[in-house]
Formats: sequence, C-alpha cells, structure tokens
Amino acid sequence: MAGIKALITLSFGGAIGLMFLMLGCALPVYDKYWPLFLLFFYILSPLPYCISRRVVDDTDSASNACKELAIFLTTGIIISAFGLPIVFARAEVIAWGACALVSTGNIVIFATILGFFLVFGSNDDFSWQQW
Amino acid sequence: MSGLLDGIRCGECDCNVDWSEKRNTVASIAAGVLFFTGWWIIIDAAVKYPTQEEFPHSYHTCGVIATVAFLMINAVSNGQVRGDSYSEGCMGQTGSRVWLFIGFMLSFGSLIASMWILFGGFVVPKNPIVYPGIAIFFQNAFIFFAALVFKFGRTEDLWQ
Repeated sequence: MAGIKALITLSFGGAIGLMFLMLGCALPVYDKYWPLFLLFFYILSPLPYCISRRVVDDTDSASNACKELAIFLTTGIIISAFGLPIVFARAEVIAWGACALVSTGNIVIFATILGFFLVFGSNDDFSWQQW
Repeated sequence: MSGLLDGIRCGECDCNVDWSEKRNTVASIAAGVLFFTGWWIIIDAAVKYPTQEEFPHSYHTCGVIATVAFLMINAVSNGQVRGDSYSEGCMGQTGSRVWLFIGFMLSFGSLIASMWILFGGFVVPKNPIVYPGIAIFFQNAFIFFAALVFKFGRTEDLWQ
C-alpha cells in the first residue's frame, strides 16, 4: 500500500507543477505559450539516468564514470529548464511574473521526478542507495 | 498539543547522509551546474544583442573551444595518465598525457581569449554595450571551472 500512497502523492505533485506551468502560460495577463517548450525538458530529464542504469550494473564500485556522466547531463537539463524561461523573460517574450510561475512549476516537477527515483528507483530492499 | 515536539531528534534522522561516499555525485552535479549556466549566459547575451555590430558572432569561438577542451580533458581518466590502469589505450601513457596537455592548453587559452575579448573588444574601445563581453568571460570561466571540478572533484579509486 505504501507504493500506492507514494504514487498518489507524486501524481499530485506533478499535477501541481503542471498547474504552475499552465498558469505561467495561460493567465490572461500573460497569455504567451512559449514556456510549454519546457515539457521537452521534463520528458528528457530522467532519460540519461535510466540509460546509464540500464547500461552499467552498479553492483560494486562507488566510482562509476557512466553514472556520473548521466548525472552531469541530468543537471544540464534541469539547468536548461530554469535558464529557458529566464532568457525568455530577458528577451521580453514572456513577462517576469510568468517566468517566476514557470520556475516554481519547475521546482515542483523536478522534485516530483526526484521523488519518483527515490521511491521507485529502489525496487529491492537492499539496494536503497541508488542515488 | 502535548508532546508535539517529542518526535524531533537532532542529527540522527535518516537524511544524515555520508557525504564522502557521495563525492562523485556532488562533483558531477556541481560541474553540470557550472557548465550549463555558462552556456545559458552566452545564450542570453546572444538573444539580447543579436546584431553583428553589438556582439560579433566570431566571439562565440572561444566558448566552443572551451567546450571541446572540456570534452578532451574529461575523456581521459586519471589512471591512464598515471599509467596504473589495467589496459593501455591505443597510444598508451604518453598519448594520454599529450592529449590531456593539449586539452588543458585549449582550456587555458580560451579563458585567456575571453578576457582578451572582454577588454580588447568591449572595455578599451569605450563600447557602450559591455554586457556581451562580460557574458563571454563568465561563460568561459564557468566552463573552465566545470572542467576542473569534473576532472579533479571526482575520485576514481574508491575501490582501492
């Protein structure tokens, strides 16, 4: 049952994050839909870690170049998700308020994705240190 | 209300992680933050000043070379350079040393070139818009430090 509770909590978090994103886009004050490109970053952000986990079997060593490259790329995608609305706002494509709303949604959604990996990444009881 | 704070324990919660084991992860995250922040700074400058007069496009070169140097530095592991890895590459220890030397030279060179662009292209000619020069300098500084953190912040011999 713990899995169900965590799943419901995480989906609530994802819905809250997407709500912030859509508020940043669709409020009548802002009404610009450029921040929807952030959805690509949300989709791409778990990919490097999943690929590296599939490629290497992290059984023994704590040093793992492939996993660290994946973490580096994931960090890059997250930074890009914050950088894109800031650049939009500086280029006066979207308003600064929309940038703030979208960044809040970023924080919530990436926390949700991190929560997914913390809860469901450890599919067994002894491999609790996936991160 | 009574006994509300009884459950609080200081310093022995589960979030008390061992940071020495997570050193590689932290270094990777720090390097990623630095590297991509640098690139977003230059994207911001290019978006704000798109014309050739305000921000000549050839100035993007040193950021690209810094990125190539980042890849070159981190493509060779420390064990290859010291010569204590199990397998030598196609060029052996000397080749990896030469490769790493060229990588660091490109890295330092792009950092110096970015300072040169900042002063020679924007500050000294009394250019009214200095922000692209500062952006180039910060981009190259961030990429340089990202390369250093990703190279030397990680340890590769934790199993010894």
